Amino acid sequence: MKILLACNAGMSTSLLVQKMRAEAEAAGLEAVIEAKPLNKALESVADFDILMLGPQISYAKAEAEEFAGGKPVIVIAMADYGRMNAKGIIEQARAALVA
Amino acid sequence: MATSSKVQVILDKFAEVSARVGNQTHMRSLRDAFATITPLYVMAGLAVLVSQVVMPLVLSGDALASAQLWGSAIGLGTLNFSAIIFAGVLGYCLAVNKRFDNAIACVVIGISAFVVMMPQTIVATVGSAVHATSVTDKTAATMSYPIDSLAGNLGMPEGYELTGVDATGAFATTSTGANGLFGAIVIGLLAVTLFIRLSGIDRLKVNLGEGVPPAVADSFNVMIPMLLTLSVFGLGAAVLAGFGTDFLSLIAACIDAPLKGVMNTGPWAVVVIYTFANLLFCLGIHQSTISGVLAEPILTMLIIDNMATFASGQPIPADHYMNMQIINSFALIGGSGCTLALLLDTFLFSKSKSSREITKLSILPAIFGVNEPVIYGYPVVFNLPLMIPFVLIPDLLIAATYGLTCAGFIAPCVVQVHWTTPPVLSAFLATGGDWRAAVWQVIEIAIAMAIYLPFMKVSEASQRRGSS
Repeated sequence: MKILLACNAGMSTSLLVQKMRAEAEAAGLEAVIEAKPLNKALESVADFDILMLGPQISYAKAEAEEFAGGKPVIVIAMADYGRMNAKGIIEQARAALVA
Repeated sequence: MATSSKVQVILDKFAEVSARVGNQTHMRSLRDAFATITPLYVMAGLAVLVSQVVMPLVLSGDALASAQLWGSAIGLGTLNFSAIIFAGVLGYCLAVNKRFDNAIACVVIGISAFVVMMPQTIVATVGSAVHATSVTDKTAATMSYPIDSLAGNLGMPEGYELTGVDATGAFATTSTGANGLFGAIVIGLLAVTLFIRLSGIDRLKVNLGEGVPPAVADSFNVMIPMLLTLSVFGLGAAVLAGFGTDFLSLIAACIDAPLKGVMNTGPWAVVVIYTFANLLFCLGIHQSTISGVLAEPILTMLIIDNMATFASGQPIPADHYMNMQIINSFALIGGSGCTLALLLDTFLFSKSKSSREITKLSILPAIFGVNEPVIYGYPVVFNLPLMIPFVLIPDLLIAATYGLTCAGFIAPCVVQVHWTTPPVLSAFLATGGDWRAAVWQVIEIAIAMAIYLPFMKVSEASQRRGSS
């Protein structure tokens, strides 16, 4: 499972990515999780299975979907993002990938 | 959440329109380009600080002058060349955002078209001597002529002195550096857009037939749009030169100067922009969607101008007191909305368990200006009591800092410091080492804490009511 997180400058998602990696490891999941600023994320979305956007750039969803070419693009819920709910966000990604 | 449905509709519309403007391809490319080039400016800022603030403390006279050559060399490659670099970076960002696959060609076009539009003759200021190399005897050393004797040879009338000469085969740093940035933006965007558009026209593609490796055809397919694009800009440059002017001078006079002027006619333009920007963040969308388009490019140019001015040892003109660093150092303490103050209030005065928990989680990132956990987790978003100080405090601090700068209480910002630099240190570095600015930043935190406190209490009271 390869998850790409994107936010405005790649700062706050880099905070989230650490928690998500720890969470994935604890759960025994094989996951590659990376965080990038939006423009860099759009360039490298091809290398990932799913793109998750911070709520602050929710407006970029439609465009991100064009770049993602059929891969799921999800906007992380504000409360999950603020509380850095790594577990819930990973669950959300898994659910989207199964669907 | 007490907002009535009518207000909700207006806020939704505002968020939608802002997002559309902020997400416009050219505007976003501009923001991306500034984000990409920022490390270069931060680096230049460090070099300026070392050579203008640190070196004079330990060195003097000839030793100082020699040591400062290190700083001026870096300044030449960063500040004084930043418009050229920017034209290329912008070309790249635009290519990526338009999903054009040949991004490197757009870098080339951006830089080339920008230089095409530069003045072909520059006026050089003459120092104390001019240099000449012997044409007939190449082994002879370069000769220096004092200006006085040269003026005589030129047959200059009595009472006149040589002040400048037209020079060809040279670039002026006023074009290639900070002052050329606006030109680089306008020309970079126009040229690369035209190039990408032309590249999409099938009739301009060369068909070499079967058997020719596709890469060969591709290389030809870049050439025709490139040739056309640069020809158009070359024609523009020639026409303007015919009228005795050039594109960069026109942009400087018609766009650059007025916009920089608006930003510096009191703090009002910046205050209005950041009011809307921070309000947008309260609705969950990043403030740079507005500020990054309307304010940041111009304010960044102003601080870069200041760095170049400071590096040359000149005083900062009053019409450059408002710049990006006033925002980054003095109005983003702990991130947008100066939420570091809210976190400190929570530590000291809050009894809410959930507020204290989120504060523990977010205090460390907040010191480095990252506060999404506060905005979404505390939360500030759609939380009316906290939205008010979140919007008002930055406005107040922008206006106050600008006022203090104008009144001479703190030094103007002269160095671009990255927005992730922690408070106090950030103000000290940004002002070229003015301790009063660092003290002011501490006072700012106290002011922001005092304003946040009652709103925090109201927010907690309404949360208690909501949960009980």
